[in-house]
Amino acid sequence: MAKIISMHSFRGGTGKSNMTANVATLLAAEGQRVGVVDTDIQSPGIHVLFGMNQETMSRSLNDYLWGRCEIGAAAYDVTSSLEDGLAGRVFLIPSSSDASDIARVMRDGYDVALLNQGVRELMRELELDALIIDTHPGLNEETLLSIAICEALAIVLRPDQQDYEGTSVAVSVARKLGVPRMVLVVNNNPAAFDSAEVKERVENAYQCEVAAVLPHSDELMILSSRGIFALRYPHHPVTALYRQVAACLTA
Amino acid sequence: MSEVSASILVVDDDQINRMVLAHDLEQEGHRVTAVEDGGSALEALRDGRFDVVLLDVLMPELDGYETLAQIERNEKLRHVPVIMVSALEDIESVVRCIELGAADYLPKPFDPVLLRARINGCLTKKRLHDLELEYIEQVGHVVDAATAVENGSFTAESLDAVAARDDALGRLARVFRRMAREVTAREQALKQEVAQLRIEIDAGRAATQLAEITETDYFQDLLRKAHELRERPE
Repeated sequence: MAKIISMHSFRGGTGKSNMTANVATLLAAEGQRVGVVDTDIQSPGIHVLFGMNQETMSRSLNDYLWGRCEIGAAAYDVTSSLEDGLAGRVFLIPSSSDASDIARVMRDGYDVALLNQGVRELMRELELDALIIDTHPGLNEETLLSIAICEALAIVLRPDQQDYEGTSVAVSVARKLGVPRMVLVVNNNPAAFDSAEVKERVENAYQCEVAAVLPHSDELMILSSRGIFALRYPHHPVTALYRQVAACLTA
Repeated sequence: MSEVSASILVVDDDQINRMVLAHDLEQEGHRVTAVEDGGSALEALRDGRFDVVLLDVLMPELDGYETLAQIERNEKLRHVPVIMVSALEDIESVVRCIELGAADYLPKPFDPVLLRARINGCLTKKRLHDLELEYIEQVGHVVDAATAVENGSFTAESLDAVAARDDALGRLARVFRRMAREVTAREQALKQEVAQLRIEIDAGRAATQLAEITETDYFQDLLRKAHELRERPE
């Protein structure tokens, strides 16, 4: 049975989308068929990492949610944009980055229940091994839904006082919703912070496993949103940590 | 008197020559050590520091040529300038000595003016060479300091000697030392922050936020359906 994984962060800018794209790609490299749904409808961005833009996006998640198409029609096989010979496949269901679409979502909202239905259809139609939901930061209705339906949840945070409280709320919400597997991922850890010590303190504070503490990486900052880091730097320590996160979420 | 006092080794098997040379050189303000053969010269060179060697060409046993050759083969001695001294006036002898590495050649009998000129010329070159060696050595200290910064073993005092120079290298060392101190200070400040790394969560505020979310009808509905949602057959 396909596994639904939600990638969440309480605040924006934690590197959640990069994490999602890299984990999806690493799973595909192992031969898995992976779907990625960008539910960050108010500030979409993951499509850029897979080489897409608004012009190459004839359908999006928005069209499905507004009843304009089936969910499958908004799924793009982006495997060819990644690397030749990738054993598995990556399908992306992007959100529209068109300003008027974003404005409409913010003004009118959408039927959140459709998301669940769409996710199930995607898993069946595309015969997915895993489906990763790149959520909108915070805890709005669609994010709560994606937490409620997932089998594994990763909450990404930075070692930053502002992230701690929100993360604690997200962890509590996920526990209430009975998420079977939940891990924390600390991203952008400054070089001066000892990873093992940060891991221990975060685990103690939240009583939750930390899948990885990713250091701040200049290479990652430079590559930014122009590609998949794990493919560009397959032997980089950060890639090994992405692999560790992927293993934790699919274990 | 010479402008600069130097330590000079005189090597000659003839006692009179040794005395004459030593006298003339001491009159110029130099410190003189005189030995009578090549073996003693090499021994003296290994034991002490000399700025110039005045070496007789024709000596019994180890002659001037072989002594010069051994000096030139020795990494630690080859930088000491050697002025060959001989009554020989043939050009071939002069050429052979220069080819072996001699800095200059002085014919006997000694002309005090020529002796002073040759000694001063050699000392000038030696000092320039010593300055160059010192410069290279001090550049090495800066390079070592960079390695130490990377290894986390840098101490600012290791650059004191270089930083005291009043040239560009000294300025480089001073700037490097200051930047390394700043980096160290920043790292220590960060380490202190890490040591004090506390994950402070306002339990009351977090509980309020949690209640705002979980007490909504939407959440309660989701809560009821969550298990069913995950278990729904494909």
